[in-house]
Amino acid sequence: MEKRHRILLIIALVLLPVLAYFHLTIGQIQLSSADFYNAFFNYSDSETGQLLVREFRLPRLIMAIVAGSSLAIAGMLMQTLFKNPLAGPYILGINSGASIAVALGTLSGISMFSSNIGLIGLALIGALVFGFIVLGFSLFVRNSLSLLLVGIMIGSFTSAITSLLQTISSADSLKVFTIWGMGSLQQVELSQIGIITVFFILGIFFSFFLIKPLNALVLGENASLLLGVPVKNLRIIIIVITALLAGLVTAFCGPIAFVGLAIPNLCKMLFKTQQHLVLLLGNILLGALFLISCDILVQGLEPFILVPINVITSIVGAPFVIFIILKRLA
Amino acid sequence: MIEFKNTQIGYQQPLLFIDELNLNSGEIHVLIGANGKGKTTLLKSINGLQALVSGQIEIDHRLTSALNHKDLSNLVAFVSSKFEGIEHLKVYDFIALGRTPYTNLFGRLSSEDHIQIQHAINTLGIDYLSDKLTTEISDGERQLSAIARALAQETPIITLDEPTAFLDYANRVKVLSILKSLATNQHKCIVLSSHDIDICLEMNLPILYIDSSSNHLIKTNTASKSLLLQHCFGM
Repeated sequence: MEKRHRILLIIALVLLPVLAYFHLTIGQIQLSSADFYNAFFNYSDSETGQLLVREFRLPRLIMAIVAGSSLAIAGMLMQTLFKNPLAGPYILGINSGASIAVALGTLSGISMFSSNIGLIGLALIGALVFGFIVLGFSLFVRNSLSLLLVGIMIGSFTSAITSLLQTISSADSLKVFTIWGMGSLQQVELSQIGIITVFFILGIFFSFFLIKPLNALVLGENASLLLGVPVKNLRIIIIVITALLAGLVTAFCGPIAFVGLAIPNLCKMLFKTQQHLVLLLGNILLGALFLISCDILVQGLEPFILVPINVITSIVGAPFVIFIILKRLA
Repeated sequence: MIEFKNTQIGYQQPLLFIDELNLNSGEIHVLIGANGKGKTTLLKSINGLQALVSGQIEIDHRLTSALNHKDLSNLVAFVSSKFEGIEHLKVYDFIALGRTPYTNLFGRLSSEDHIQIQHAINTLGIDYLSDKLTTEISDGERQLSAIARALAQETPIITLDEPTAFLDYANRVKVLSILKSLATNQHKCIVLSSHDIDICLEMNLPILYIDSSSNHLIKTNTASKSLLLQHCFGM
């Protein structure tokens, strides 16, 4: 690893606990350091401060890290797989897959689907199915712009179906789904953090085994094949890991746009490399930093206005993506 | 090194027939033929990217049909006619990708890998390019880098699809003489397709030409320009 890369990664790593501290302490209710200490080591659920830390602030912070990192890695994987800097789990419709599966589950009113395992299972299956649909299209649609359009069409189609489902569902399940659909990091409960972390670590763990084939894939599929990379299997593994990471986030936070698209591009601009070890570490850290920052903003605005996290990521992310497109044209 | 027996090359229909032909280590062969006569398809078949219509190709006494891409990556390297350069990819890192068949699960380069990469760089005389980006060097320099990448792959066979097509005259001569010396000095078996009939004849490179009327591949060491023009292009 080059020295410059190492320095940038260390800076990001140092920033992480700093931003995490701000994230934990910025809420409307001031908490003492004793509250934080006791919440971990001497917990009593009758103390409001301690309760707040354990049940709300900490799960929300962990979710910001998990969601930011997961979406950024998923975006990086898609961009290298499709050799397209504008690819991402959101734009290619993988999030839509998770969304519609969750919508069907929640709106059906069947209680099994609203349990942790039920929700995550649905989101993963939905993400996986839509991931393979996009992969299938990519084998025929060689033009990268057309593939993006196909992804956007899949997204529109799915949201139309989802709207249709909403009109025929009960008021209660509609409310649950609407709140979920706005995207939020604070719906997660402490009891869910365990399973989320397990899936997250699995996703990251398997991503490290993709570093070598991803480095080769930069040369194109045929060139990778001639270097002994099993391209067919690789495509499937990439889609499965992307679905795992993007599905996980969508299940628990709802749709969060632009992280998967903007952060991998930011990493390429910052690190100026095609070495996927550096890019993977960069995306893990910058994804987390970005979403923590966005959520600090959400919390800072809370006394005045309730802004969904998806709105912030879009307001920051969309202009950045336009900037990337213009920069490529120049 | 490469042995053809009653080989028919093409997609559904055979394009090109090779009755019997051996290409040995230490030899360079220039594939000459009209457009659409199967030069690229032949190179694809050697690289295992295109199945044969019938017959067989043996590489190092093993049938290509029985070799997977992992096996082939230790035997044959391939250079395409144009390497466009890749954003943020340095020449050294690009050449290092030639070591992919040898690196561990995470693609970490060993000291042996670095030695082979540097050896390839020195052979091509492109040490001055190592730290440059593949997008900021000339077409000629990119082609030399691509050949260095193939060399770093340490395969007994290197195949090249019209490696001189996008180069100026000086670079054409340079690339061809480097390839010739790789065959002589490093005992590589080199097969390239080319339309540079004049330069190849001038350099006395052995020629494999595709006869346009019979669609057979014919090996010759004593080709003349008029013979090639007549048999390949019907002129």
